[in-house]
Amino acid sequence: MNLALRDKFMLAAAFLLAAIYLFPLYWMYVTALKTGSAMFASPPSLWPSDPQWGTYGSVWESRNVGRYLWNSLVIASGAVSLIVILGTGCAYVLARYRNVWVDIGLFLILMLQVLPASLMITPIFVGFSQLGLLDYPRTAVILAIAAKSMPFFVVLVRATFMSVPMELEEAALVDGNSRLGAFFNIVLPLARNGILVSAILIFMQAFGEFVYSKSMIQAIEYQPASVGLNSFMGPNTNEWNNIMAYAAMYVTPILATFVLLQRRIVSGLTSGALK
Amino acid sequence: MRRFLLSISDGRGFDIGLVSVPLAFLFAMAGLPLIYNIVMSFQEVDMFSLGTFARPFVGFKNYVTLFSLPETWPILGNTAVFVIASIAGQFTIGFGLALFFWTGFPGSSWLRGLFLVSWIMPGLVVGAIWNWILSGDFGVLNYILRESGLISDNIFWRSDPDFSLWAVVIANIWLGISFNMILLSVGLSAISQDLYEAAELDGANVIQRFYTITLPMMRSTIGAIISLGLIFTLQQFDLFAAITAGGPNNSSNVAQYWAWDLSFRQYDFAQGATVSVIMIVFVMIASVVYVRSTRHEVRG
Repeated sequence: MNLALRDKFMLAAAFLLAAIYLFPLYWMYVTALKTGSAMFASPPSLWPSDPQWGTYGSVWESRNVGRYLWNSLVIASGAVSLIVILGTGCAYVLARYRNVWVDIGLFLILMLQVLPASLMITPIFVGFSQLGLLDYPRTAVILAIAAKSMPFFVVLVRATFMSVPMELEEAALVDGNSRLGAFFNIVLPLARNGILVSAILIFMQAFGEFVYSKSMIQAIEYQPASVGLNSFMGPNTNEWNNIMAYAAMYVTPILATFVLLQRRIVSGLTSGALK
Repeated sequence: MRRFLLSISDGRGFDIGLVSVPLAFLFAMAGLPLIYNIVMSFQEVDMFSLGTFARPFVGFKNYVTLFSLPETWPILGNTAVFVIASIAGQFTIGFGLALFFWTGFPGSSWLRGLFLVSWIMPGLVVGAIWNWILSGDFGVLNYILRESGLISDNIFWRSDPDFSLWAVVIANIWLGISFNMILLSVGLSAISQDLYEAAELDGANVIQRFYTITLPMMRSTIGAIISLGLIFTLQQFDLFAAITAGGPNNSSNVAQYWAWDLSFRQYDFAQGATVSVIMIVFVMIASVVYVRSTRHEVRG
């Protein structure tokens, strides 16, 4: 077969596969624009004949989406700050040394990474309620998410620190820097990009977190968007256009970040999980 | 005091300080709950004793009660079906896509990046979208299946006990394709092209090359991905909460959802902790397999 023809054929097949794969996302955006009757039409139309842009405004108002998204933002920012402050130094030490203690530490961290949140929430909830932490529900969720996601961050950032040549740090030490000075002036700036990408990844995970928030935050004014979406979907709901509008408002900022940083996110993910 | 401060800023104390604070945090927030979980599974916990540590120990009573419940074995069976079906679907489709994009054509790496979208989406949003797609009367999946002649009557994915578990499996396969595909792609790109050229010169066809080069070279990657898939599938909670909530009549309930349901819907924290302990043991076994298969990478 002609090579150019083969390329074209493969490209067409790839677009077809991508279209099938991305259909659920497309269906979310299209349903959000349909009228109440067009939504239940048979056969379903693939394109809204009469796009209802007002749905977004009315859902934003009636479901208080702004408050939910703000809570998600507060929780995700808090968890990411805590993880970055604590996890970066830990990853640095684990990358700099090779001995049996580092191996043990890494093994424990990898084991913590795999504990399912829905199984850990029972003891965390009971423990936090005994300590009185549940009176500050968003703080409690931030602490729980930080513990859940920090191992993943440490594994990702450790891979970044491994790629920083140790000779640079040693040169800084010879030039009279203290360990502290060399860490902040040499090592951290060189690893900045990797830390940033890992932090964004953790942020997107924390932004969508559900189990901890659902279990620990009873007061509706502190609940994040995931819990809000869950309470929006009753068992016999039929306002799917409104629900899809809510979901679109929730997920679009994440998708935009992903599209902008796609290349870096992909390389960050693959370097941490496997090599 | 001065020596202590100097050690913090310029010596061993610097490393120990950096690593001990996060490890102490992790121990307090993940290690202690793990221990507390095991302790609670041997205690009698109710709403009144929730606030105290002095709860009566009951030995293995919680475990005995658990396995005498009529729903226990069906739910554990559902968990096995969910895990096996999800991993089989994710891995097969992910491997197919990875091989397809691996052939290399203009734009292949950009298009492959699109397939990662599901990885970063909140689980609840994915669940909401599939909840609507799988809807019985007006769902678009039923429409497609009907038009293509595969079914004659609508399938009530979420309310039919025969299909409710599969509704979640379908959504979970869509969610998991991305990580299978990207990790398999990484593994494929590490295989040397020389091997394929040599095999081609020897007259091996595409299928022979796949079975004699690709699969053997990918063995450790495949092992890691399947154990990672097991870990991720056992963490899946959001889709159950968004699509079926374990129902109808526990037909789509799995252990990780049941543990939460027992604690937070039925307020039976002791039984919730008991199910948690059993499942955590399973997850730990999977993660030991995973850590062993990636050990060369972990050591750097």
